[in-house]
Amino acid sequence: MAESNTLTDAEIMLKIAGYDSKALEQLYDRYAPILYTLIKKIVTDKETAEEILSDVFVIIWRHIDLFDFKTSNVYTWLIMLARNKAIDVLNRKGGKVTQDYTDEYEKEKIIPKLSPETEATELNKVLEKKEKIEGALGSLTDAQKYVMELSYFGGMNEAEIAGKLKIPAMTVKSKLQVAIGNLMQKLSEGGK
Amino acid sequence: MDNKKGIELIKLEVLGCINEKDRESLLKMKEADENFPWKVLAEYQNLIALLPLTLPLIYPDSDLKDKTATKLYKIRDEIKAKLDAKKPKEVINEPLIEEKPVVKETVLEEVEEGVQFKGEEQHLDEKVPTLIQTPVQEKTVADSPKYNVEGKDTATVKSVLDRELIEKITRDYFKSYIEKELEALKQGMKKNRLLSLAFFLFTLVLIVVLYFIG
Repeated sequence: MAESNTLTDAEIMLKIAGYDSKALEQLYDRYAPILYTLIKKIVTDKETAEEILSDVFVIIWRHIDLFDFKTSNVYTWLIMLARNKAIDVLNRKGGKVTQDYTDEYEKEKIIPKLSPETEATELNKVLEKKEKIEGALGSLTDAQKYVMELSYFGGMNEAEIAGKLKIPAMTVKSKLQVAIGNLMQKLSEGGK
Repeated sequence: MDNKKGIELIKLEVLGCINEKDRESLLKMKEADENFPWKVLAEYQNLIALLPLTLPLIYPDSDLKDKTATKLYKIRDEIKAKLDAKKPKEVINEPLIEEKPVVKETVLEEVEEGVQFKGEEQHLDEKVPTLIQTPVQEKTVADSPKYNVEGKDTATVKSVLDRELIEKITRDYFKSYIEKELEALKQGMKKNRLLSLAFFLFTLVLIVVLYFIG
């Protein structure tokens, strides 16, 4: 076990690609808390969140071949996967998605497609950025933070956010674009 | 292409808040524009993935890991099919006559290892002789006459192998839990022993004290 603890996320994914169940367990130990935190924020219900988390690991096991080993951005891939799955469950419960959940649907809508120019990102490196992202997020206005939260964690589209906040959809769109642009700028400044 | 427009759409896409019309135009840009800002898309994808770090960390119940393992066990057939598909079909150039009997256990071990580790699977393939003695036949390793056990039906042997393979996939997963449980049990026993000893000494001291008081 000591040896496997020293493995990078990308190395673990490679082992999972060889259907090494211990590697999957290692990935679970490493990522379950952050993924569960995200999922729980989205669906709020504990049992549903647990169900989704285990489904996420089943998806990893079944579709490891869809992970891009050239770029090996494990962290972003897993976060996007967990978010997509949780939002999908939320939308199905709310009747927003009625399409059958097929293998094709999973490949198309749930499994993330990262940019081919992405770089390898690992959980331990990302955790070092926690304070930076908190600082950058803190610099946004309350309105900007709120629309981002409704969108990212709430899974709302621009029309829904517009309806909730009683503002035009175009305003929602521009608020989101400005918010994420500012976030990127603040994070880049903090990184210098 | 209008890079600025592309970047604005990227911002909405990574937040998961893009309408159908915008999604389609972004898709077209991705497919048709050779100057599409892939690097920018990567940066925004990474940025948005940092958002969960701002949430207070919650740990799932420890038994969820077992539940996940059970789910994985249930899809063993699917995984087995995938493993089978991954086995390369190869050309075996060897006589169809059985060379020498091979014991069943050896076959099981070899095939198990071949599936668990891709590298070794390839190594197994390299053992196949290359001399052309009979017309070329397409066969998998498991189908090779070498793996026929004392004239038994290959299908019967394969079903035994299949079962072993499935078990192999899940065995390791459960094994680690058992190890952990045993470790916890040992720790508990150690604690109990210490407590018993302490209690015994305390009782002894109490008896001595009572004796002298009496």
